[in-house]
Amino acid sequence: MLKIDIQIEQQMHLLILKGEIDASNSVDLDSAIQSIFAQDCSVILVDGRELDYISSAGLGVFMSYLDDFQEKGIQIFIFGLAPKVLQVFEILGLDKLISIRPNKEDAMALVG
Amino acid sequence: MIKLPKIHTGKLSLISAVLIWLALLFVDITRIFGELNQLGSGISPEYSYALEILFFITVYIFYDYTINSNKNTEFLELIWRGASTGLLALTVSLIIRGLYFLLGDGKLAMDPLLRNFFYHVNFALITIFLISTLILWRRLILYQKTKRIVQQWQAFEVILLMSMFFVFLNNNSLDYSFLFGMVFMFIFSISLSVNLKWIPYLTFKEKWKSILFFLIILICTIYLFTQLLSYSDTELVFVNLTDNLFLIALFGFIFIYSLFSLLVTLFNLPTSSVFEQKLTEAINFQRLSQSIKPGQSENQVLDILIDSCMSASYADAGWIEVIDDNLGLQIVHRRNIKETERAKIQTHVESTSPFNAFKWDNPKNEFELYQGRISQGGFLSALMLPLVTNNQTFGRIFLLKEVKEGFNKEMLNIISTFVGQACISVENHRLLNEAIQNERYKEELQIAQRVQRSLLPEKLHHDEYFEICGFSEAADEVGGDYYETQQLKEHEFAVIIGDVSGKGTSAAFNMSQMKGVFQSLVQLHPSPRDFMIKANKALSFCLERQLFITTTYLIINTLKKTIKFSRAGHCPTLYYDAKLKRWDYLSIDGMGLGIIRTDLYEDFVHEKTINFNPQDLMVLYTDGLVEASNEHREEFGYERLKKLVDKHHNKQPEEIQKLIIEGVFEFIGKNQRLDDDYSLMVIKFL
Repeated sequence: MLKIDIQIEQQMHLLILKGEIDASNSVDLDSAIQSIFAQDCSVILVDGRELDYISSAGLGVFMSYLDDFQEKGIQIFIFGLAPKVLQVFEILGLDKLISIRPNKEDAMALVG
Repeated sequence: MIKLPKIHTGKLSLISAVLIWLALLFVDITRIFGELNQLGSGISPEYSYALEILFFITVYIFYDYTINSNKNTEFLELIWRGASTGLLALTVSLIIRGLYFLLGDGKLAMDPLLRNFFYHVNFALITIFLISTLILWRRLILYQKTKRIVQQWQAFEVILLMSMFFVFLNNNSLDYSFLFGMVFMFIFSISLSVNLKWIPYLTFKEKWKSILFFLIILICTIYLFTQLLSYSDTELVFVNLTDNLFLIALFGFIFIYSLFSLLVTLFNLPTSSVFEQKLTEAINFQRLSQSIKPGQSENQVLDILIDSCMSASYADAGWIEVIDDNLGLQIVHRRNIKETERAKIQTHVESTSPFNAFKWDNPKNEFELYQGRISQGGFLSALMLPLVTNNQTFGRIFLLKEVKEGFNKEMLNIISTFVGQACISVENHRLLNEAIQNERYKEELQIAQRVQRSLLPEKLHHDEYFEICGFSEAADEVGGDYYETQQLKEHEFAVIIGDVSGKGTSAAFNMSQMKGVFQSLVQLHPSPRDFMIKANKALSFCLERQLFITTTYLIINTLKKTIKFSRAGHCPTLYYDAKLKRWDYLSIDGMGLGIIRTDLYEDFVHEKTINFNPQDLMVLYTDGLVEASNEHREEFGYERLKKLVDKHHNKQPEEIQKLIIEGVFEFIGKNQRLDDDYSLMVIKFL
């Protein structure tokens, strides 16, 4: 089960992910990011505090937008990942491309 | 040994009947001869009576055998048999009468011996007619029999048998006991004669024929009966054979049953077309429900449908329109109407209420029925029903009549049923085709599975300084895990393990690409880091944007005792240092292949060299293994893996591999299945 919520806070898009992302619902994540793209946006904060699991298909979604983020000058930060989920990002090396912070404040500090 | 000849009941009974009749004739004539010449031969009439009874019984056996030997005779044929036998007896009797008329009052006419001879002929023919008809009527009465009717019939036969012996009591004279027996048997006959269930199954034409035959039988019966009565008045007959209770009762029974049948058939005539119609409908219904046979198509079902509906509603014209995926709306079956006229009428109908309310995409079309007045091309009423399978309207059937309000409630009911059944047949047909298609896909997947299995190596390269084994299992038929080895030099070996993101068929295709990349690059003997950079570049061109591959590549040199390795987003290798007696994950940074598809990737991949010692162990695996979760959504994880192998480090690689797999399955529990592909390689240095 995956629950996706998008909130706008001080010109930042907050993407709140709850539950598990696997092959069956990675499409939902994809369309959520698409919808953010459609709006005028410069910063995306991904709230992963309640993300329990992400499969390779879910990682693939983040990965496939990396070029677009760079091209459009959009900054993306992920915060609050559980150690287990963080490990998945680290093993794949995605933490080198997306800034991952332990909490929202740390992530907000990077915005600029 | 003497073989007994097979007893032929038919022939045997026929021969004995003839012999018995001759014996009877002989006995009677001898008696008359004796009486005439006052010789007083003294043959008592009981001999004649006994022979008479034997004659009855043999005739009965003969007809019972011949009529019942052919079970499939039509009703009409049975009745005709009765009528023809009656006609024969009648004709012979008339000829005899004519003969006597010609003889006039001559001496020969008065000759008692000749008279007696003809009396016996008449007696025999009457008996044959009555008994054969009795057996024919039995077939009719016992049609659609119940236990009660069978019992009643058996009782009747027993009473008939008893009545044969009645002659010994009253010597064929008319007395009260005779009358009583006669009345009793007539009543019994009437109660049997209400069993006329066979009549409705005759067609209109057959009913007329059977009425004719029954008339013949009735006439014969009446004539022969009066003939028989006339004998009882004459003085010429010394032993009366014909005033027999058995024969009189049979006359009564055959007359009553024929009369009942005649009347009921006559009254059934006007309604027979209704019954025929219902029977056709039932047959049509059966045809519709059975119409899915191998080789039959939807078109044939619709063909039966239009014919069934037309005949059920006496429609004057009709057609079926279906949606074809490629050709759009198509008229598939047209009856009694020209295409130009049909098109005109359809346009007219579609613009008329209530037909204009029809919508192809109405989900409730299955229960809709459009009926109304039209006036076009001589047609005054129309009926339209949508053909629906699986909530999708795939066609319409149109029926037209030249009278106003031509479709009554019964017709609508039966047509709705026909349409429903036809739709079920079409749906079954489609489902069957789908099932066949699915079966084909399954076979294709099995082929894919075989092909993929062959992509994984059967034997892994190694030398005397290390042992190696590998294992891979896909969650679905095919998967995206991959491992392989290659010998680079005499003491140098390349080992790779990889995992394509996602699973199933798409992952399987990319796994085979990865194999191709490995087999090509390994020829160039690249260092692990170079391998990753080149593989990343190659895959950048052929991997979908959201897909990536994680891999670990290592080069083992058994001469230098070194392992040079690089990791691209893959799960870190588990390494056991035999000297330190410690298990550790080989940590090194490295990004998955296909994530960065530019030269920038070079900054994200690294290489490391370590030395190995004998008894060191290495476990390579894919994430399906560590992410295997139990029913509490708990993952097997890196720590459990480490603890598990720690217990078994002195065992053989195959054994360790087996224990790891067992351990994982023990952890996830019996009822869980792995939802990702998992692979494993164990290397032990010697």
